[in-house]
Amino acid sequence: MSAPVTTRVRLDGVGKTFVDARSGTPQQVLADFSLTVEPGELVAVVGASGTGKTTLLHIVAGLVPPDTGTVDRGDPRLGVVFQQPRLLDWLSVRENVTLACEAAGVDAAGADSALAAVGLSEYAGSYPTVLSGGQRQRVAVARAFAVEPDLVLLDEPFSALDELTARKLRLLLQDLWMERSRTGLLVTHNPLEAALLADRVIVLAGRPARIAAEYRVDRERPRSAEDPYLFDLHARIVSAL
Amino acid sequence: MTATEVRPTRVSAALAAAPRPRRGPRFLPALLFLVLLAGAWQLMAVLLDSVLVPGVPEIVTELADIVSDGSFLDQLGITVLRVALGFALAFVVAVAVGIAMGRNEFARRFFEPAVLLGLTIPGLVWALLCVIWFGIDLVNPVAAVALSSAPPLMLQIYQGTRSVDPDLLEMAHVYRFSRTTRLRKLWLPALAPSLFAGARLGLSLGWKVIVLVEVFGMSSGVGYQLNNAFAAQNVAAVLAWTLLFAVVMALLEYGILQGLERRTSRWRKAVSV
Repeated sequence: MSAPVTTRVRLDGVGKTFVDARSGTPQQVLADFSLTVEPGELVAVVGASGTGKTTLLHIVAGLVPPDTGTVDRGDPRLGVVFQQPRLLDWLSVRENVTLACEAAGVDAAGADSALAAVGLSEYAGSYPTVLSGGQRQRVAVARAFAVEPDLVLLDEPFSALDELTARKLRLLLQDLWMERSRTGLLVTHNPLEAALLADRVIVLAGRPARIAAEYRVDRERPRSAEDPYLFDLHARIVSAL
Repeated sequence: MTATEVRPTRVSAALAAAPRPRRGPRFLPALLFLVLLAGAWQLMAVLLDSVLVPGVPEIVTELADIVSDGSFLDQLGITVLRVALGFALAFVVAVAVGIAMGRNEFARRFFEPAVLLGLTIPGLVWALLCVIWFGIDLVNPVAAVALSSAPPLMLQIYQGTRSVDPDLLEMAHVYRFSRTTRLRKLWLPALAPSLFAGARLGLSLGWKVIVLVEVFGMSSGVGYQLNNAFAAQNVAAVLAWTLLFAVVMALLEYGILQGLERRTSRWRKAVSV
């Protein structure tokens, strides 16, 4: 269907320290952290709040430079879904997606099919401000996939939504993932979400963060959230947290 | 989707389709004010019975004379052109400097004294200096308007820049928006409220300065005509020119600024439930 996925992300000995704005004390979030995401693999990083998951994702996204170590990922086209939709409210839903397509140099017609894939065709001409939170996040998902990304980064994409909406969006994401293989990194504090979506789950704990546990998810897609295997895996992830 | 997700959209759609208020009543309060002002003025003129306070009929006659003369459009036009050129110059510089100040610590510290100094220098001083330096060239009024309207614009844009959502800038970064796309699709729309506030403030300062410049150093324009009327001790003409000037300002405010502002804030209407 498309070219084979070649994007590999390799973090080697990455360290990152932030200085607490109020107390002035340095907080070492990551130290000598290494992780490899193989081409076509979707890795989920699970951890409690403040374990450096988002920092990790920001480093991979190139938004934050690491203090030490190397990030080797080539120069992939990124599709990013943040915790908040981050839409330009003064542009229509369609324009929000086509703008990203144009910047990525891909056919802007892909915007309409991406919006159709997330079930928002009828709102393409509306302003995002008339949409519900779940609908807005679906626009963000459409934008991330419309740019035909080599690397998809998901930063707690459904944590701001109600559970019912989040469930639907997880399955939607699974569908989009199955359509075309890419490399992906999902950061979440939801163990079930990680088990459902990822090929491999990494549990982060401590400060600086270290890999407390690692699980390979041995299930073909499409997966069901009711699968006992996934529920069992979810329980094991929780115990490692 | 679920009913909970569809319902709010329908409500907003219904609101958006609601009939707009009729045109008449919108202008009624402003009209009422103007009629009362004219009435009060006429009463004052009758009570004082002085040549220094001409009545409404005299002012209207003078207005008619100015308008029927035909040169008034040229005079107004040249003044508006000077303000427009000066303001456009100030606007371009202020957008660049204001965004730089909001984004860069060095730029902020560098330009801060310039903005503060600019805000404290009276328009009269700019007018005098520009007349001395540039004489009767077009540069003179343009520079005076630009110098007096740029500082408040810069301040507004700088403060607006600091309130732009950094999350959107991150989004623009990961999706590799070009510099032009960022400016046109992110910065300018996000800064629109500050730009309009700054434009109003800057234009009002520009109008005040242009009249001074034209009084001191120009041989055309509304300020020059005001000076002529003043020299002839024709109070009615002074008032008539001032009124014409006010009409142009009102046209600009209601015709252009408010129209533009409505256009750029259409998306906000969708949420004002």
